[in-house]
Amino acid sequence: MPVDTGREREAASGAPQARQVRLAWSLSAHAQRLITLALAGLVIAVITRRPEFAGVAAPAVLLLAVRRPERPGRVDVTASPSGTKLTEGEQAELAVTVTGQGGHSVDLLMHPRYAVVPGTAGGLRSGKSAVPFQVTRTGRRSLGALEVTLWDRWRLTEGHATLELPIVDCYPMPAAQRKRVVLSRLPSRLGEHPSRSSGEGLEFTGVREFVPGDRQRRINWPATTRRGRLQLNTFAAERTQNVVIIADASSDVGEPGSTPADLAFRGAAGAARAYLAVRDRIGVIVYQRSVRWVAPGLGARHYYRIMNLMLLEHARVADPARYTAITRLPRAALPPGSLILVFSPLLDRRLVETVRDLRERGFSVLIIDVLNAAPSGSRDSLSGLARRIWRMEQEAIRFSLRELGIPLVRWDGQQSLDEPLAPYTRRAVVMRQ
Amino acid sequence: MTARTTGAAGLLAGACVAWSALPLRHGGLAAVILAVAIACALLSLARLALGRAPDNAAAYLNTVQGLALGLADMARQWPWAEGMTVAVLVLEALHGSRPWHTGLLGLALLAYLFASHLAESRARPAVLRPQAPLIAAGLGLLALTVGAAALPSSTGSAADVLALLAAVAAVAVAGLVTPV
Repeated sequence: MPVDTGREREAASGAPQARQVRLAWSLSAHAQRLITLALAGLVIAVITRRPEFAGVAAPAVLLLAVRRPERPGRVDVTASPSGTKLTEGEQAELAVTVTGQGGHSVDLLMHPRYAVVPGTAGGLRSGKSAVPFQVTRTGRRSLGALEVTLWDRWRLTEGHATLELPIVDCYPMPAAQRKRVVLSRLPSRLGEHPSRSSGEGLEFTGVREFVPGDRQRRINWPATTRRGRLQLNTFAAERTQNVVIIADASSDVGEPGSTPADLAFRGAAGAARAYLAVRDRIGVIVYQRSVRWVAPGLGARHYYRIMNLMLLEHARVADPARYTAITRLPRAALPPGSLILVFSPLLDRRLVETVRDLRERGFSVLIIDVLNAAPSGSRDSLSGLARRIWRMEQEAIRFSLRELGIPLVRWDGQQSLDEPLAPYTRRAVVMRQ
Repeated sequence: MTARTTGAAGLLAGACVAWSALPLRHGGLAAVILAVAIACALLSLARLALGRAPDNAAAYLNTVQGLALGLADMARQWPWAEGMTVAVLVLEALHGSRPWHTGLLGLALLAYLFASHLAESRARPAVLRPQAPLIAAGLGLLALTVGAAALPSSTGSAADVLALLAAVAAVAVAGLVTPV
């Protein structure tokens, strides 16, 4: 079903608000150790009648005997991340402001949730501090909790308060892609790709004889002089293309953070960004137990629509409750003549059937294989045999797709997408219908 | 910074245990307490080195990992530094009267407790600046008591005068420092 991602985008907003948190005061571990030293020294001094042990206790007794300043019961804490929309691995900061602590010193400690990596908090200066962090995996992530600790001047009592941190949206890190796969036949809509038909573009395609009605400024005078008749320069028409990217998120296997689903989302984000940069119309279909899509569109706003779809769908990866046997993608998501880029590990048989169906319907399909994991198991002969059969099955799937005329390239998630796509980006791709 | 203060705490713990154990006494209560002091020192260091328990604990652990996690939790939960402090003082008390030796042990123990606190709270040594006058006063009292204890008990009126001076000095120092 198509997704309206605007509502979810609003839900993720985290406006900074000062929150009053109650402090729980207790003796610090340092104070407890000083008490132990003082008591042990004094008791031994009394038992053994040796005054030097009382002297050992003296510094601790003095430190413990001082008058404590008044302790605040509550403090106002503001914690706001530098952005609520981040990209995987992007360095961000949590700006923290603490007020109402009086003469107490403040320590901040971030207790991160999954996929959040905190840095070391700087000291609190005039009530403000910044805790660096980064989110390492796509999804809607809670930053965790912030522990605020107040110390008195002597560091003998400590006040603790914990504050829940806001939720941030982490978009997939787009894969690098500079060159694009362009089809030889493009729809007749103005764009930036030179097409085979002549038109008003900038790319020179040849010279033909002048006919009445042609623009005189395009007359090629050297050719006219040679041939004795008026000759005209012709140029390639510039067209846009429709690209539909299918991100297969049905397999979340392997190392968290670099699963095929993660790679599919990164590749899809990179491809979407590359094609939107040349004003192509991009649609995205996220394929897992169910199918969700964003219809083809263009512009920066459309890019964020695509990213929001991937963000929402990442949370549902490999959710068995969402099982729906879909092997045929909806027409609304697939404009005729589209280039279809499939980022998939090809582990889901239904997707393989879907890709075959697309090819049979005449679409130009290119598969980017993102499989980067293999079954692991014991080293006995049976497991080895099972692994070999699995590998052969995978090879058979890929072979059958190639036989259908579907180009298949392998991408490891590390290199630029330009490298595996190089054979198809040098010239316009001709696909058999 | 934390690694440095943890290292300093480790060195001071080792120094305290070694200093209180010398000269070595074989067998009996001293050996048991020495073993306890060494164990407590090692576990207190392990506690400092381990830091806080991780927020995202692993879900599936094998036996070895589970055992390691259990030991780490034990090292974190128990007050090993306090145990070491008591053990070291008892070990020192088991030896005969040697005031200057005990005084130096007290100094090292205090330094160890401050180093432990700095390592534990990941704070800079500058946070101890407000305590410096109190620490200085405490060390002054320690020096006075060590001096008083070092005087031979049969010196008569001179020892009484010195003891009186020490008491007056102690009251004066405490009076100066307490309102801070």
